[in-house]
Amino acid sequence: MNFLEFNKVGFTYPGWPPVVRNVDWTIAQGEFHCLVGRSGCGKTTWLKLAAGLLQPHTGSVRLQGQPVVAPGPQLGFVFQSPTLLEWHRVIDNVLLPVSLQHKPTAVEIDAAQQLLGLLGLSGHMQHYPRQLSGGQQSRVALARALILKPALLLLDEPFAALDAITRGELQDDLLQICRLHRTTVLFVTHDIAEAVYLGDRVAVMDSGSVVQDIHVQVSKPRLPAMRYSAIFNQHCAQVRNAMDMATV
Amino acid sequence: MKRIFTSTQLGAIGLLLAWLGVWELASRGAGVSALVLPAPTAVARSLWIGLSTGYLWPHIGATSFELLMGLLAGCLLGFGVGVAMAESARLHRLLKPYIVISQVIPKLALAPLFIVWFGFGMTSTVVITALICFFPLMENTVTGLRTVDPQRLELFRMLGATRCQTLLRLKLPAGLPGILAGLRVAVVLALVGAVVGEFIGASKGLGALIIASQGMMDTPLMFAVLIVIAAIGLLLYQLTLALEKRLLRPYTAIS
Repeated sequence: MNFLEFNKVGFTYPGWPPVVRNVDWTIAQGEFHCLVGRSGCGKTTWLKLAAGLLQPHTGSVRLQGQPVVAPGPQLGFVFQSPTLLEWHRVIDNVLLPVSLQHKPTAVEIDAAQQLLGLLGLSGHMQHYPRQLSGGQQSRVALARALILKPALLLLDEPFAALDAITRGELQDDLLQICRLHRTTVLFVTHDIAEAVYLGDRVAVMDSGSVVQDIHVQVSKPRLPAMRYSAIFNQHCAQVRNAMDMATV
Repeated sequence: MKRIFTSTQLGAIGLLLAWLGVWELASRGAGVSALVLPAPTAVARSLWIGLSTGYLWPHIGATSFELLMGLLAGCLLGFGVGVAMAESARLHRLLKPYIVISQVIPKLALAPLFIVWFGFGMTSTVVITALICFFPLMENTVTGLRTVDPQRLELFRMLGATRCQTLLRLKLPAGLPGILAGLRVAVVLALVGAVVGEFIGASKGLGALIIASQGMMDTPLMFAVLIVIAAIGLLLYQLTLALEKRLLRPYTAIS
């Protein structure tokens, strides 16, 4: 069954050409899809449509058969920057989605601690965000998005500002956690290797449309060594080609 | 061993002593009248007499009271109006022109009018002080609340936060550094407001005492009062800085 379904979705900011045109796309439960494209091609708008932060002007977005009208606890969202609240400790940042609803229970606090442990931040729970490195802040943002155990996780270039090694570690952690919770993921990036490494499928986007749909045939679970395999590089080349073709 | 003073601090103290020495010599030797420039020792004596006989204390008390009441009222009002204007774009558009106009009128020029309205005494000084404190707090609150990072606003929207939650748990904490900077400005201006308010409309307080000492041609007393005013200003400013540092610790914490 289709978990998330885009049906002829179009979106236009007033006074501008359409940002998203006529997009058809479906994601099955538990799949990891990546969205690549150049800056300004409409990736982030697409993600916001999936989140219900924006409403499509044409077509429809359905989550488990229901139209997406507003954001809710069924989805987790990770922004380009960590967007942590610097006046809260790490643990309280992770628990923010809970504490906006009610006072966190012992079970929920325990869940947050486990999540932070899984992301290697056990020793930083009582620190403030400013005391963490960029990579650690990204991990906290990821933990915050996952605390409500969302069925759908949306990520908007979350690791773009990190160095290659930290980014690789975070990619592995993300894959591991999503496999553990059977989370469905839509991941926006402009990094081709990142898209191929993470995704079951990669959508190449240009000027608001999907120009190519690539099924990644690299075996799972993905391991860092696979980044240098022939098949991995073939896929990267395929994505790159699609992006080059689109701009001509 | 940790040194108590750094070399620049020692330099600053040395400069002060040298300055006092030259002042003392000039006022004693150069024939400058004590009415124009009393010697530092004369000022110190006057200050000591004022403090030890209890002559100065009621005036210090009056000025401090007016200052604190004015500061409290002005800051609370400025903060409240600032929050309301930041939350309602309509109210902001409605009040903006009036705020701008009232900003360019020098508030101290209104003091005579307040004496007509509120009478001679503490009330007019408190009102003047409050009015002066109102603006920096209001301006900084509006700016602080309106310049919240849009991604964080989106985050709160996505988490289903109510408007009240967004205000209390995102906008106010995010704007706190700016609001506290406004408070720091207000504290300094409050002292000016209280003293100048007393120049015009009070018989008690340090400002009134300056005017009185002018009338009595007691220049050492005038200097002594100025020193007390400077001390009050320094104390308040340092207290505000300490409060700011305490509240903003998480914002600036580095491991």
